[in-house]
Amino acid sequence: MFQRKNIPLLATFGVLVVLLVVASVLYRNFLTPLNFANILRNYAFLGVIAVGMTFVILSGGIDLSVGTVMGFSTILLARLISVQGVPALPAICVVLAVGCAFGAGLGLVIHTYRLPPFLVTLSGMFLAKGISFVILPSAQKIDSSWFAELASFKLKVFGNAPLTVTTMIFFAVVSIGIAIAHFTRFGRNVYALGGAESSAVLMGLPVGRTKIAVYAISGCCAALGGIMWAMNSTSGNPAIGLGTELDAIACVVIGGTLLTGGVGYVVGTLAGVLVFGTIATVIRFQGLESSDARIALGILLLAFITMQRIVVQGAARGSRMAT
Amino acid sequence: MGNSSRKPSLFLHSSVLWPALGMALLLLFNLIYDPDFFRIGMRDGRLYGDIVSILLQASKLIPVVVGMTLVIATGGVDLSVGSVMAVAGTLAAMLVASASMPVAAAILIAVLVVMLIGSVSGVLVAYVRVQPIVATLIFMVLGRGMAMRLTKGMGVPIENEAFLFLGGGYVLGIPFAVILVFAFAAAVAVFLHKTAAGLLISAVGDNASASRLCGIRQARLKIGIYAFSGVCAGIAGLIAAARVQSAEPARMGELLELDAIFAVVVGGTALTGGRFSLAGSLIGAILIQTLVWTMQKLGVPSDVTPVPKALVILLVCLLQSPRFRAQLTAPFRRNPVMKAPA
Amino acid sequence: MIMKTIPSTPLILKRAGLGLLALCAAVLTGCGGGGGEGAGLTVGFAQAGAESAWRRAETASIKDEAGKRGVNLRFSDAQGKQENQIAAVRDFIAQGVDAIILAPIVETGWDDVLGEAKDAGIPVVLVDRGVDVGDDSIYATLIASDFVAEGKMAGEWLFKKSGGKARIIELEGTPGAAPAIDRKKGFDDVIGQHAGMEIIASQSGDFNIEKGKEVMEALLAKHAGEVTVVYAHNDDMALGAIQALEAAGKKPGEEVIVISIDGGKAALTALVEGKMNCVVECLPLLGPNAFDAVETIRAGGTLPKWQKVDDQLFDADNTDAAFAENRPY
Repeated sequence: MFQRKNIPLLATFGVLVVLLVVASVLYRNFLTPLNFANILRNYAFLGVIAVGMTFVILSGGIDLSVGTVMGFSTILLARLISVQGVPALPAICVVLAVGCAFGAGLGLVIHTYRLPPFLVTLSGMFLAKGISFVILPSAQKIDSSWFAELASFKLKVFGNAPLTVTTMIFFAVVSIGIAIAHFTRFGRNVYALGGAESSAVLMGLPVGRTKIAVYAISGCCAALGGIMWAMNSTSGNPAIGLGTELDAIACVVIGGTLLTGGVGYVVGTLAGVLVFGTIATVIRFQGLESSDARIALGILLLAFITMQRIVVQGAARGSRMAT
Repeated sequence: MGNSSRKPSLFLHSSVLWPALGMALLLLFNLIYDPDFFRIGMRDGRLYGDIVSILLQASKLIPVVVGMTLVIATGGVDLSVGSVMAVAGTLAAMLVASASMPVAAAILIAVLVVMLIGSVSGVLVAYVRVQPIVATLIFMVLGRGMAMRLTKGMGVPIENEAFLFLGGGYVLGIPFAVILVFAFAAAVAVFLHKTAAGLLISAVGDNASASRLCGIRQARLKIGIYAFSGVCAGIAGLIAAARVQSAEPARMGELLELDAIFAVVVGGTALTGGRFSLAGSLIGAILIQTLVWTMQKLGVPSDVTPVPKALVILLVCLLQSPRFRAQLTAPFRRNPVMKAPA
Repeated sequence: MIMKTIPSTPLILKRAGLGLLALCAAVLTGCGGGGGEGAGLTVGFAQAGAESAWRRAETASIKDEAGKRGVNLRFSDAQGKQENQIAAVRDFIAQGVDAIILAPIVETGWDDVLGEAKDAGIPVVLVDRGVDVGDDSIYATLIASDFVAEGKMAGEWLFKKSGGKARIIELEGTPGAAPAIDRKKGFDDVIGQHAGMEIIASQSGDFNIEKGKEVMEALLAKHAGEVTVVYAHNDDMALGAIQALEAAGKKPGEEVIVISIDGGKAALTALVEGKMNCVVECLPLLGPNAFDAVETIRAGGTLPKWQKVDDQLFDADNTDAAFAENRPY
């Protein structure tokens, strides 16, 4: 039973290994510590957002607002620090709080009025995008030496591979996510809610509180993703973010979490982000034209998802035959 | 037998009430703020005016919305529509321009190609059991790449008169594109109303396992619906290309999937599948186009226009929530429960 | 306990899956891995995207020039996302290229990654847009037009042409994009100095023809009676606006002056046909200059921080059909 539940997860990790092996055969300098460290820091912000998204999807919902909330967070941070002159650390706290409150607000509306999450968070997406431009109409550099130092801090591992603060945050968030999902009552409630909301209600679980908390976590992760994006570029930009929600959803689904809720793992999302990042890096190494890059990404995603489903379904049939 | 109760209604249905109310409010606002809004004139034998322009602008959204309504009714969603538009528009324009193919043949080929793309999405959803949002996301990326690949990203100018008629022609003073898309929507509505198709779609979306037990071949139905959504997007792509006399593979239909989903959900179709309303979706499509038009005329800065969009979507959705309506009307209602003697 | 039954996958799908895998492998291997055996230099080019004819012309120019000079070019298209472009520059550093050509999506956000390039001893040549960095030694040179000056040129041409009287509709680029902000600034500054000229409406047409036409239709519904000038931040929006003007029964080029920036073939053709009045050029053919710069740096020479691209202004007086026809993009 335990093994069968893990099949999607194992399939993802298995295909990730195949992908890395194929890529390292095709490209010199691919499977180096430096390149691997680069994949991690390039996609750390996406990974953090995807972890938040995992909780939402596990609870049976979806959060389309995360991309623009990320963009909104970068520009809010830039404005607080560079225009308002707020020191970096309090500014980061404010941005996290705002992201968290925004998510909680969406969760509150979803729960109170029994509205589809897709819809409410779609509206959140537009809202965050519009407000971003009110905060500042164009990209803004973050003028804080402390922030810049934090952003460029690198721990050298395996020779010259840089372990950045963003990478460390990503690993920390994944660890905390795993702990919350599997070792707390809240985590069990999220799974129960995604499995069947009506049963969760009957079992007397705090459905409303759990739902709101899940969207708050997602909003908070989106804000943290925004802060990490800002660290990556020491700037904020109101025009970015749209589309990142789809990347995050893709990572979660690649990681084996079902959009129907109740089934999946946070560690799967880690694998999903690595797969996504590796595919994108392979495409960059290949130096494809814009059109071919899209075609390659589409085909690789298609191949990956199809294989994953075939493995899972084959295993399901195998176990049925065995019983 | 009471078969009328479950049939999706073409006419006034409770689910159409709220988007219609939203539309009425928006029109009322325009009536007060901008009386010219309702003026319709005739120039060179062609009708013109704000309403005509809005309908013309909505003519690329309406077919997409028709397909999206059915997809959402089966419990899915189609994110690939914008890219599929670009594939159809670019392919048809290219066939006409460089292969000097007759327009009808070019259109037929383009529509067949996008139908194929749609049915592959459908196969992924129905047989491979990929979640719709992911299956169609793949074709959103892939389709855009294919459209750009066709022409190395270049725009294709359209000079063929027959092709241009799709977007710029007039019949009896009315834009041909508007007649075409409304006739298309009406034909689909009548088909769904007269045959069992509408019922089956609702049944699949409502409760997939129950409908499977009832013997509905839901996999084939789903493939058909995604293929149909592809065709709808293809028609939209042809109209959009003809409208600007050029097919732009990199930009055509960009982010249109969001507007289409917006229109469908505002129109009262449940995202969970099952209940759907084509009429509501059409109102939703016209509502969003009117909203954009009104904001442009008002001079709302372009970068903040997503905010009113967000508020409208939230408001119309809240109005559909019984609980919100109850809260809204509570202060004006005598509540017998509250006044019950202690 | 009832076990959830998942329908089995038909065999054909398995085959399809395997076929897809084979296809992927073919796509990747067929195009050949990144070799480094070329005799010449290895240069990485981090392009912003491929969303417009202008950008595609720029890419083609750099690729062609690399081919001519025997340079081994590593190309990367960021699909309009800065994070992708930063990642691409990091890839180039990891691959140890000899030089990097970067067409930044935005001006901000390059301190860290360009600093890494400098630490690795890889010179960076910026094309078409500058960067806003604290330490300008982290890039070698910038080869670009001046977007503000382009807007100014358009404004000054209009002042002369209209005799200081104009009611202008401005079609802006994508909100937040540097060319949109700068072309607006340059133009609006000039207009602001003359009391007789006024911008009566300014909306984004998102740099594309479809949106440009739709916005123009809406603005014409309100301002058809008074508008005398349309100023668009790029060719595509101007072409859309021309269609909207014609549909509204206005003669573009005669009753309404149309001004655009970029100067692609389609816009110049419209200029020759008399539907457009002024096109300010923004030259995308930066390949020769970029590789000249790379070679100069490799030879130990120094370059000015900003090599301004000499943009021209085209109007009916200096443009004929042959010129428009021979425009390469």
